[in-house]
Amino acid sequence: MSKRTGVFVCHCGKNIAATVDVKKVARELAKDDGVVFCEDYVYMCSDPGQGAVIDAIKENDLDGMVISCCSPTLHEKTFRDASELGGLSGFRCEIANIREQCSWVHKDPDEATDKAIKISRAAVRRVQRNEPLDPIGVPVTRRALVVGGGIAGIQTALDLADAGLDVILVEKQSTIGGNMLKLSETFPTLDCSQCILSPKMVAVSKNPRIRLLTESEVESVSGFVGNFRVRIKKKAQYVDPELCKLCDDCSQVCPVAVPNEYDEGLTNRRAIFIPFAQAIPASFTLDEAACLGLKPVVCGKCEEVCEAGAIDFDKRPTVFEEEVGAIVVATGYDLYGMDKLGEYGAGRYADVLDGLQFERLCSASGATEGHILRPSDHKVPKEIVFIQCSGSRDPENHCAWCSKICCMYTAKHATLYKHHVPDGQAYVFYIDIRSGGKGYEEFVQRSMEKDGVIYLRGRVSRVYEQGGKLRVLGVDTLSGRNVEIAADMVVLAQAMEPSKGTAEIAKTLKIGLGKDGFLAEAHPKLKPVESVTAGIYLAGAAQGPKDIPETVAQASAAASKVIALLSKEELHHSPTVAKVRDPYCTGCAMCVDACPYEAIGLVGGKAAVNEVLCQGCGSCVGVCVRAAIDVKNVSQLQIHEMISAVLAA
Amino acid sequence: MVNVDALRGYAADLLEKGQVRAVIGYRRGTAGVLAQPCTIDEAGEAETLVWDPTCLNNLARYLVEDRQQQAAAQTRNKTPDGRPVAIVAKGCDSRAVAVLLQENYLKREDVVIIGVSCEGSGVIDPRKLAARPEGRWASRVDFAGADAFKVTVGGDETLIPARDLLADRCLECRAAAPALNDVLFGEVVTERGLDEPFRAVKAAQGATEDARWATWEHHFDRCLRCFACRAVCPMCYCPECVVDSTTFVNTPGTTAEEKATRIRWCERSASVSESALYHLTRAIHLAGRCIDCGECERVCPVNIPLRLLNTKLEMEAFEQFQYEAGRDFGQASLLSSFRDEDPNSFIR
Ligand SMILES: Cc1cc2nc3c(=O)[nH]c(=O)nc-3n(C[C@H](O)[C@H](O)[C@H](O)COP(=O)(O)OP(=O)(O)OC[C@H]3O[C@@H](n4cnc5c(N)ncnc54)[C@H](O)[C@@H]3O)c2cc1C
Ligand code: SF4
Ligand code: SF4
Ligand code: SF4
Repeated sequence: MSKRTGVFVCHCGKNIAATVDVKKVARELAKDDGVVFCEDYVYMCSDPGQGAVIDAIKENDLDGMVISCCSPTLHEKTFRDASELGGLSGFRCEIANIREQCSWVHKDPDEATDKAIKISRAAVRRVQRNEPLDPIGVPVTRRALVVGGGIAGIQTALDLADAGLDVILVEKQSTIGGNMLKLSETFPTLDCSQCILSPKMVAVSKNPRIRLLTESEVESVSGFVGNFRVRIKKKAQYVDPELCKLCDDCSQVCPVAVPNEYDEGLTNRRAIFIPFAQAIPASFTLDEAACLGLKPVVCGKCEEVCEAGAIDFDKRPTVFEEEVGAIVVATGYDLYGMDKLGEYGAGRYADVLDGLQFERLCSASGATEGHILRPSDHKVPKEIVFIQCSGSRDPENHCAWCSKICCMYTAKHATLYKHHVPDGQAYVFYIDIRSGGKGYEEFVQRSMEKDGVIYLRGRVSRVYEQGGKLRVLGVDTLSGRNVEIAADMVVLAQAMEPSKGTAEIAKTLKIGLGKDGFLAEAHPKLKPVESVTAGIYLAGAAQGPKDIPETVAQASAAASKVIALLSKEELHHSPTVAKVRDPYCTGCAMCVDACPYEAIGLVGGKAAVNEVLCQGCGSCVGVCVRAAIDVKNVSQLQIHEMISAVLAA
Repeated sequence: MVNVDALRGYAADLLEKGQVRAVIGYRRGTAGVLAQPCTIDEAGEAETLVWDPTCLNNLARYLVEDRQQQAAAQTRNKTPDGRPVAIVAKGCDSRAVAVLLQENYLKREDVVIIGVSCEGSGVIDPRKLAARPEGRWASRVDFAGADAFKVTVGGDETLIPARDLLADRCLECRAAAPALNDVLFGEVVTERGLDEPFRAVKAAQGATEDARWATWEHHFDRCLRCFACRAVCPMCYCPECVVDSTTFVNTPGTTAEEKATRIRWCERSASVSESALYHLTRAIHLAGRCIDCGECERVCPVNIPLRLLNTKLEMEAFEQFQYEAGRDFGQASLLSSFRDEDPNSFIR
């Protein structure tokens, strides 16, 4: 038991000191049993603050330390490191959170001060029974998994491979590239999307360190930072990419036609097809759901014509396990469903399109070979209306968030339209223009000035068809007038939402989701690429709406985090793990079921904890009615003492 | 109808063939009308077994005692007889056995369950019987179909409506036959026109918070902390009760430091606060485990309505999570399992 405890009370500038009388807290704590040193200081986390901790330990021969300051998620590590520098085990240093749990949530200074004293006192009682534990060292698997092969996943995989790490890149579609592969030109420089993306895709396929698994998904993950075990399921590979010569004989004979999802449904494709000429792996692929031949051979035409013998209907899905040290999740986005915007005629009229469909119209590899034509009658639209914020910024009915990129891609669409149809007129309905970014504002201005795009500030109330035209009813709030435009085509800048399956992958990986359904970062400012689970990182639009430059930057940031993590010989695992009190355990196995990390098993009829797997979360402690399991340094005795300290008069 | 002779024959046969070490069942009591628990280990004794509406006790408790004795024998370096024990079990007893199996306290092969049906009725509440003029002198109570009991007083037999004598828990019982059994005597009657499940607790909840607290304060004030409720409960088998320092476990490995730093969550004095803590802790530790045999309430010498505390939690478990303790010993336990469709949207 610690007998010489030191206490520091932080002002956090005015964050704590404005509500809590920090001097009084320090005075009161100094009277506590076993407290031999107590001081307040304006910024404990500053260099002089940390220096004071180190000095106090040395000068007073402290064997325990409490810092009353902000949340331990912020600075527990800071002060534990400082304690170590002072020669005191970091696990003898505890944080009393008097900011988030006290000064920020209370107004009355007297009550807040009283509560701060109690919180600090409880921490003193706890630390006095802390064991000076040593971290548990675990070896690291120097290999990474990247989930999602959009530009985010591609960039991460390339950076990791470049640093000499082996990478497994898992993509659920039959080609990598993600949404970027569908884009025509990209703002703000209007370079061709596929031209800048395909070299990177090829680089992935050529890199010996990258193992690309398309048509694959992660089924389950166990383990922990540095040592994850993942189960990956790969769909049956009916066409062998090694043998496929891209001759296209197979799709010529296939009798099936289904909407081509890679062309946003604007064209049809066969059951055996290649998503894009640039697809990686460069191979035809067979769509199990659409194919007739899979069931006891009904069709089998493609197999007959394939001279390379690349097609094999007997292939089965494979499931395999891999070990990796870190995981990057880059599962991207989908556009908000058109079916939810009936008021704009979405889903009802063929010439009401979403942004990605318009990209396909502009793209040389799309249905119209880059000519902007109406899907309904293949005529050139002379008047076109773009509606921004379609589904975004509408907490009542649709998504609450701003999708961030639609202002920019709408300006791009209007510009591209003018390049294709110089005598046409483009209108844009907007709420306001958000064009923060290098060269972005200039790009939008150019579309207005050079390309004569008419921007109308206001919402559209309705779109309906009349006499072969789409009548768009809206208001121009700047002039205060109602406007009605007889348009040939309407393009909705649909909100971006997390891609389908994001919630499932988050559950599989045990990482969090934000309120909006995008993957949650560990800290919005200081840990933007870390997930809440150690060793799992986030990249790209899966974490929130983003354009390509931002996606690539985040992807490289995630890669650098992984490189730093996997550059260590051995990781240090916190020793504050669960410990079974054998005589009390009856072997009911409730803790075994409750442990989210599969860290407990029954050995000889008693619970036994795998210290390397245990994260010290305390779920087991919560379910054990026999109090037969404790987490080290948060033992029931310590909790009892903390409660007693708080309840004492 | 349960054929009691067949039941006796079955028990005798098990013992005769040496398939079980003992049979736990009921025999005629020596004081008053109630049957009493018994353990028989010779085939000849099977003749004494009975089954009628006075077989109140939850016999699963004796399986707990048995396992503790077996474990104690083992530490004394004896090799205990490894054969299973047979138990006569009505619906609630079998649910208790199911929870013990679910919690790995027993192994399925260690117990033979001789199921007996409550004939669509249940067991009596002796207090309700005693409150009737004829009840005091009753010498026998028998099942008479689902709706009545046949009470014998002197040489006379009277039929009393089942509803008037049934134990409260039997009025609310949803499974008056042992679902878990190795053999079943009597029919499974599923249609029972008695009270709805949780009727008593729902009625008690109608009172205001202040009134409810006043009631419980009154009860906790009367509690003697004799721990009869804990002693009779088949689920209260922890080696050490977290609220009672008299049960602290000492093993050769227990250090002086451990002894000195033992936590007393609850003081031994029988004051309102300490008794409240005892009862509330016990109720919470029984959540998803209490099979509503009503034994705690029956044995309480000062008539504290303990069923209300436990059934309140079972009601929450049922209504929120469709969970019934003892329904199936393979089910994931209430507190340690999580399903996506569980209510509590704050868990993500
Ligand atoms: C109409 C439109 C125009 C745009 N124009 C521009 C522009 O001009 N300039 C610009 O900078 N940005 C533009 N963008 C934004 C750009 O598309 C995104 O920034 C970029 O695609 C994000 O890349 P990503 O890799 O994060 O996501 P995605 O491209 O969505 O890639 C995600 C990948 O992960 C895969 N995946 C998903 N779930 C799983 C899973 N469970 N397992 C395995 N794989 C999975 C998907 O199949 C997909 O391949 C535009 C967007 C839209 C909608
Ligand atoms: S929950 Fe408690 S009693 Fe049950 S196995 Fe785990 S530690 Fe042992
Ligand atoms: S504290 Fe318990 S539940 Fe949590 S990880 Fe460790 S063993 Fe599992
Ligand atoms: S409730 Fe009744 S049986 Fe239980 S301890 Fe109190 S007095 Fe004893």
